Amino acid sequence: MLKALNPITKLFVCIIWLTAAVLVFDARFQVACIVIPALALIVFNRTSPLLLLALMVPFALFGLGFLTTSLLFRQESDFALRMAGESLFATPAFSAGITLFLRAIACGTISVFFALTTDPGAAVRAFMVYCRLPARIGYSLFAAMQLVPDLASEAQQMRLARAMKSGRPPRRFPGPVELFSLVIPLLAFAIRRAGRTAIAMEARGLSPDAPRTVLNAPRFGRGDLIFALVAIVVCGLSIGAGSSILR
Amino acid sequence: MTSEPRLPENPPAAEWRGVRVRYPFAKRDAVGPVALEIRRGERVLLLGPSGSGKSTLLLTLTGLIPQSIPAEVDGSVRLFGSDAHARKPWAWAADVAQYFQDADQTLCGMRVEDEIAFALENRAMQPALIEEAVASAMERVGLPEDWRKRRSSTLSGGERQLAALAATLVQNAPLFVADEPTAHLAPEAAGRLHALLTKAEPDHSILIVDHRLDGLIQAIDRMVVLGKDGTLIAEGYPRAIFREKRELLMSLGIWCPASTALDAALAQAGIAPPIAPLSVEEALAHLDPASTSLDRIERARPAVETFVAERSARPVVTTTNPSLMARLTGADCAPFLGPTILRNINLAIHEGEILGILGANGAGKSTLGACLSGVLALKGGTRSGAPGGLAFQRSENQFVADTVREEMLTALPKRMAEDEKRRRVADAFARWGLTDFEGHHPFELSQGQKRRLALAALTIGENWPLLVLDEPMAGLDAHGASTLTAEILALREKGRAIAIISHDMDLALKLCTRCIIVGEGRLLADGPTETLLSDPQLLKRAGLAEPSCAPARRWLQQVAAC
Repeated sequence: MLKALNPITKLFVCIIWLTAAVLVFDARFQVACIVIPALALIVFNRTSPLLLLALMVPFALFGLGFLTTSLLFRQESDFALRMAGESLFATPAFSAGITLFLRAIACGTISVFFALTTDPGAAVRAFMVYCRLPARIGYSLFAAMQLVPDLASEAQQMRLARAMKSGRPPRRFPGPVELFSLVIPLLAFAIRRAGRTAIAMEARGLSPDAPRTVLNAPRFGRGDLIFALVAIVVCGLSIGAGSSILR
Repeated sequence: MTSEPRLPENPPAAEWRGVRVRYPFAKRDAVGPVALEIRRGERVLLLGPSGSGKSTLLLTLTGLIPQSIPAEVDGSVRLFGSDAHARKPWAWAADVAQYFQDADQTLCGMRVEDEIAFALENRAMQPALIEEAVASAMERVGLPEDWRKRRSSTLSGGERQLAALAATLVQNAPLFVADEPTAHLAPEAAGRLHALLTKAEPDHSILIVDHRLDGLIQAIDRMVVLGKDGTLIAEGYPRAIFREKRELLMSLGIWCPASTALDAALAQAGIAPPIAPLSVEEALAHLDPASTSLDRIERARPAVETFVAERSARPVVTTTNPSLMARLTGADCAPFLGPTILRNINLAIHEGEILGILGANGAGKSTLGACLSGVLALKGGTRSGAPGGLAFQRSENQFVADTVREEMLTALPKRMAEDEKRRRVADAFARWGLTDFEGHHPFELSQGQKRRLALAALTIGENWPLLVLDEPMAGLDAHGASTLTAEILALREKGRAIAIISHDMDLALKLCTRCIIVGEGRLLADGPTETLLSDPQLLKRAGLAEPSCAPARRWLQQVAAC
């Protein structure tokens, strides 16, 4: 259902929610920014909650950085005193830290909402048709987006090749050292792949400025209007609810 | 067999005048000097040993070299009478459709229908016309409708090649350039593609590089041969060249059709076919057992017997109970992060055995090979036995070092003495013809050279009692193929078990005493290669074809029955 919406509508809604998440410094609103997109993904997109949790790990680690920074390095906080005072969790520093932590996850959830419900090809086509994105830039973006899922299988091939070189079967899961050692070869792969894609596109006539047809571009429908209105209203209500609770 | 003479006012479709190409930092030219023209409506085959610069020459055609791939180019290239470099490469797309050697160089990672439509979208064609052309191209190439939404990068090697061919054929350009378009295709698909590519159309010219000549060569008007140094060494009608220059072609490691060897053997017996043959049927057409004198038949028989014997696996002297090397029991196999495509596979491979794994494109051969070697975990069932080494279908995936020499050295055990390492590497370089490339980065090599390096690195060490080779002959010239054949037989002598995934029925018949055929999500057959490859119904069901020597085998049976 969410996949059928026009990517531009989803991007517009996501930008509004992201802007609100950045501007509204309220932990309750940040929770709403996490829960509402997550519920929408689980209910309407049948996304596994486990997958969502896994995808949130990097954002949670990033947010944890904000939390610890605001607790330990806030100018007005005297760490030793706070620790001794047993009221650390009631301090403004903690409150600010937790809001920043939730904001990182909220931004992550909204981004994941867009990524999991949008076909990269359809998004690029929509941008080219409705936002007049030049085809060269559009297809470069497209190639970059397509590269992400392919990196996993390329990394697996590299692991197999290395295991065979060393004469031992590959480990089921790579360790941190092995993962780190794959970074440069994967970067080289990405560069090679980008070069080949550029040549493939050029050989098939992709020009910098000539007019071109764009097939299968997503269209706007009534669903887009309903989705945008509901999303904006829910966003407004969440902000309002947060501020009334605060009062 | 030849095209009609062209009107003199018609400029050639493509023309190279004294063209030579040298890549940055290279010590010698990659190709040239070459003077060559492709006339309108002509179907030209370009042959040459691995590394002779065939692909480089094709890339100069629309200016991709030097405009997108840096290189120094001398001489002039003309397309339809105009200077090829006067336009940007993309501006030639309506006139020249290019299928590159690696399907990944042709595809962009989109969904299949978008890949096919891409070139027509760039021409700003009407959407309805594009839809029609896409459907037609898919039908001509034989792509199922349910592939439309699949991403090209999730397809198997052969499937990608089919999608890439559809994406270039849809351009309907007056010049079609194809660099090894059938290297990874199953025989039935390759036959269909050869027929499509070589359909005679007066306004369409074709320049094709392919090692797979049987089934293609009959439709070729003219062939051009490059030597090892990248210069032109022969040019003319295929029949004449394969008969008159056979020794030269063989000495350079250039593939010839199977009929060439039979023609030579029959000539030696004093009963050469009146016209130089391009197929085994043609070679034996003048020796119909029903109407030819017994004397001629008796003179021909030893030659034909030798021809067939050289293309069949030699019986192996095995111990009564060869030890089991690996076994799959009730195995469900799936590619990495993909769905299960083969179910309930029961398969065993023994010491000293060469097993062929055959099947149509996308049947799951590579996945099965990876599971058999143990590098890919099973989705269900069990695998027991020794770990195996796997030669990937794309050689590039196998390279982990920065130079060819290092690639080989790192394949040897760390504890081995340095002198011994050096000796073994030098020996392998000489055997595989890689001596001149020791200091090169593996990615700088040609496709055939990359394949040789990958196989040399896998076989130089003695790490693996079981080896799985995924389409090992793809991209190899005849010398490389012959080296690999000798290497495989030597490994078998040492008691290694080898599984070969291949679309080459001649190779399967020559090397594998036993084959399995994969299809319909399971094993369709498991048995002696000769038996399986003589079962027309099974071959049709699996999208395979009989080996090229099959008509000779039938001829011998007819003779025996007379």
